[in-house]
This record gives sequence, structure tokens and C-alpha cells, in this order.
Amino acid sequence: MKRRFCFLGAGVFFGFSLSRVGAAEFDLIWKMFTGEDLKLAWVMLTAIITGFFGMQLLRITGYRGVDGMPIQIKKKPVTWLNAAGGSLFGIGWGMAGACPGTILAQVGEGKVLGLATLAGIMAGTFVYALMAERISFKE
Amino acid sequence: MDAVYRFVFIDPWPFWLGGLCIGFLVPGLYYFLNTPLGVSTGYGSYLKLLFPKSKLRWLNSKTFAGDFDWRILFLLGILIGAFFSARMSGKPFLTEAMGLFTQRLSWPLPRMLLWFFTGGLLLGLGSRLAGGCTSGHSIHGLANLHLSSLIATVFFLIFGVLTVYGIRVLWMGGV
Repeated sequence: MKRRFCFLGAGVFFGFSLSRVGAAEFDLIWKMFTGEDLKLAWVMLTAIITGFFGMQLLRITGYRGVDGMPIQIKKKPVTWLNAAGGSLFGIGWGMAGACPGTILAQVGEGKVLGLATLAGIMAGTFVYALMAERISFKE
Repeated sequence: MDAVYRFVFIDPWPFWLGGLCIGFLVPGLYYFLNTPLGVSTGYGSYLKLLFPKSKLRWLNSKTFAGDFDWRILFLLGILIGAFFSARMSGKPFLTEAMGLFTQRLSWPLPRMLLWFFTGGLLLGLGSRLAGGCTSGHSIHGLANLHLSSLIATVFFLIFGVLTVYGIRVLWMGGV
């Protein structure tokens, strides 16, 4: 129960942060792509650097979690699909002005057009599930 | 006290505060919950929730096995967190506006809906093929120096830039 509450809390923290920093603003995402306003690029870079140093701290302390259990870091396979899927994703990112995380923040903020994007993501994930019936993707 | 409240809840955060909070989630989720940060796989969890009897192989893989899928709650939390953020900073409750897009294009509603649905479809399919989205690859993966994440992120950004420029040239009278 406590663990479930923690996941919900982590999500609330993530959504609150995304919304407060403006990651759910359509214009800020577009202006990052045109270079007119790089605020969100700086957010991402700061997040990556923060995450990197945090992970180094975990490494130094021997990859042990709060309960003493070993932490496992799974590496995703390097395939041509990183590029192919990444290209489709990039087009969607530009079209919708959102990514799978920030779209939830958009909808939470009350941007109703975001519901169409959200439905699209569900459909796109379903298309993948159908493709995975015939093609074996490395997961 | 008033200034602190304004800074946290009313004014848009400076980039570094958002970056620190979001970046903290990478080691934070590992340390407290032994879980990698990621959002897009969660949409599979919701598919599983909608179609619990589906025979599709991917929905029955070990990713979605077990009696409780943390992703359901994590994704729901993002929505709730943004809801509180918007309510506290005094944003309008429901709005059909979508920034520059609805300001500069007067498309009929069905066309708008189809446009955003298509964008979403590409996000959903693309993130599954690429193995992650902005949080799983660009934040979590790059913080862990994963090569697959670097490749994915470079393509996310290249095609994001091309798409936005394309839309501006086609429908908004130039860049």
C-alpha cells in the first residue's frame, strides 16, 4: 500500500514540476524547436546533469536502495529502431507540442485538445501491440 | 512567506528548479522504489487495464504481469500534479486554446482533433519502437549514459525541429 502511494506521489511531483516549469506549454515546446526560447532545453539539460550526479552518488554507495536491496539498471538494446521510432516520435512531438509525459500535464491543466493527443498515444501504443504479434521487437 | 508562496506556486519556475526536480526523479525512483523513470510504457498498462482479456502477446508480456502495475498510478499522478499546479497558479479551468497553434490557425474542430490524434499516434508508436520517450530515454537514459537513448534523443530532436519548421512554412506563412 505504501509503495503504491509512493508511485502516485512521485507522479504528482513529476506532473507538478512539469506544469510549473512550463513543459506543458505548447508554445515553449515549439519555441525550443525553432530556437526562439530554449528554456525547456535547459530544463532537460539540468535534469540530465542532476540525474547523472544522482546516479553517481548511488554508484559510489554501491547501488543499494533505501531498503538495502540491490538496484538494477536495465540498459535498453541499441537497434536501428531507436532511430526509426525516434523519427516518428519527433514528428509527433512537433505536431502535438507534447510528449507522452507532458501530455498528461496538459490534460491535467485543462487543455481539452490534449485529450485528442492522449487518445492518439493510446491508439499508437495499440498499433505497436498489433505489430508485435507479427514482428519480434527486442524489449 | 508570501514571496516564497509566489515563487513556488504562482510564477513559472526558472529552468533550473524544474530541471533539478525532474532530474532528481531518476536516482530518486531507483533509490526509493528500485524503478527506472519512464512514462510511455504506462500507456500499455492502460491498454491492459481497458482490455484485461486481450490475447495480444505484448500485453501479456512480463512488463505488465503481476497484481499491481506501478505505471497506472504514476501516470495518474502526473495528471493530478498538473491539475493542482494549474489550479493554484490560477490558470483557466478548461480551455480549448493550444498556444500558437490555435492562435494562428483557424482550423475547424474536427481537423484540429484529427491533427492532434495523429500526432499522438506517432508519439505512441514511435516511443514504443524507439524503446522510450523523453523521460525514459532523454532524461533517464542520458543520465545513465546509454547509447540507445542518445540515438533516440538525437532523432526526437531532429524530427521535432523539421516538423515545426514544416508546419510554419506550410500553414503559417513562413518560419
